[in-house]
Amino acid sequence: MPNKGIKGKNNIILVSAILLFSLALMTLNVKQEKGLSFLDSLAGVILSPFQTFFTQSIQSVADGIDHYFLLVDVARENDVLKLKVQHLINEKNTLIESLSRQQRLTKLTDFQENWKKKAVVASVIGLDSTQWSKVIFVNKGTQDGMQTHLAVVTDAGVVGQVIHAGPTTSKVLLIVDGRSAVDALFQGSRISGVVVGTGGDACQLKFVPNTAEIKVGDPVLSSGLGGIFPKGLVIGNVSKVSRKKQGLFQDITMVPSSDLSRLEEVLILLP
Amino acid sequence: MYIFVQALIGIFLFSAQTTWLNLFSFGGVTPDLALIWVVYCGVRCSHAGGIGAGIFIGLIQDSLSGGLFGVNTLSKGLIGYFFSTLKDKFFVEGAIPIGIFLIVSSVFDGLVYYLAMGTILKGDVASSFLYQSLPVFSLYNALMGPVMFLALDKIEKRLNSNKPSSFRRAIR
Repeated sequence: MPNKGIKGKNNIILVSAILLFSLALMTLNVKQEKGLSFLDSLAGVILSPFQTFFTQSIQSVADGIDHYFLLVDVARENDVLKLKVQHLINEKNTLIESLSRQQRLTKLTDFQENWKKKAVVASVIGLDSTQWSKVIFVNKGTQDGMQTHLAVVTDAGVVGQVIHAGPTTSKVLLIVDGRSAVDALFQGSRISGVVVGTGGDACQLKFVPNTAEIKVGDPVLSSGLGGIFPKGLVIGNVSKVSRKKQGLFQDITMVPSSDLSRLEEVLILLP
Repeated sequence: MYIFVQALIGIFLFSAQTTWLNLFSFGGVTPDLALIWVVYCGVRCSHAGGIGAGIFIGLIQDSLSGGLFGVNTLSKGLIGYFFSTLKDKFFVEGAIPIGIFLIVSSVFDGLVYYLAMGTILKGDVASSFLYQSLPVFSLYNALMGPVMFLALDKIEKRLNSNKPSSFRRAIR
């Protein structure tokens, strides 16, 4: 019986210790904003080579599978030349992949040339380790001039902002994350609002007055307020508008103009 | 050797989680390999080993996530604690008990995040989180869990076939 009492006490101490330790970490994170950045950096440095390897392997394999299936009939008709065909397919895949990469980089470079300030092209090497945060990892860090609160874009529009910069990798918070908020305005009417992430595939536009005339498809741009995103960058397009009978603001859903689920290269705008 | 193998498992699981596992997403939801690993450690390791593994894996996951630092340490630490305590009271063999354990721990993990987002960060969480993402997440983990348990058991068996070290005896 006394043994059971001691065991119960130990359990309470253990649970309390876990709770206290976690709460201390959360408080550090919220208060200092940077949190335990050395742990983030360390994990990034250890894992980034593996992430890069896996990402590149997947791209090559996926590309190979896609193009192999397209040429299955040809391979059947040419049994004798199967090996040669396979060799050509591999070569073709490599060229297609480098061509498409070149096209993507050209788009980003064009954007970069039009951009008056400096910008860095980065490759996406990983995603968030949990289900619930919308974060990506890129292969550029403080060694390349990265720092927190830099705008991340593609040629299609705004992607998110850097929330942590390690020596060789950085974390980018996507605009669809629940903690993201970007001050915005409608291109036509110039009415302002705030683009807030929902944790899903779309964002919500908050604080848009009920009286404003907003239509589905209206483009939404960054307003330049907030100091992270420069004015005039495309954020997305309105996909749903619903006006409440009562209340001051409309419920507006917006789809980001960049396909955030298929990001491969991004442009980070330096200050 | 034991620590080296565990580190390799960790690197592989976290690399997979942050890269190619997304290819198998169902409705935007992928299984949480770290969570399954914590439940495995809770069930198979000693009491201290289960809790330690939960906190350590949670810390790494926090480092590789953009969420609030400490949320995963909290949820994984408590999951490690609960399962290392409960394993003596339940029969944990076969796919069904493992699946149930994983459903419970997935729901708990999701709720901790949901509460942290709502209370500490005051952020927006999609309305579909509780009735869509969380059930799919739990079921996906429950399906993946037995397969991963089997794989980890095989590795454990292979490691145990070698001469046991004093370190392994201490945590087992």
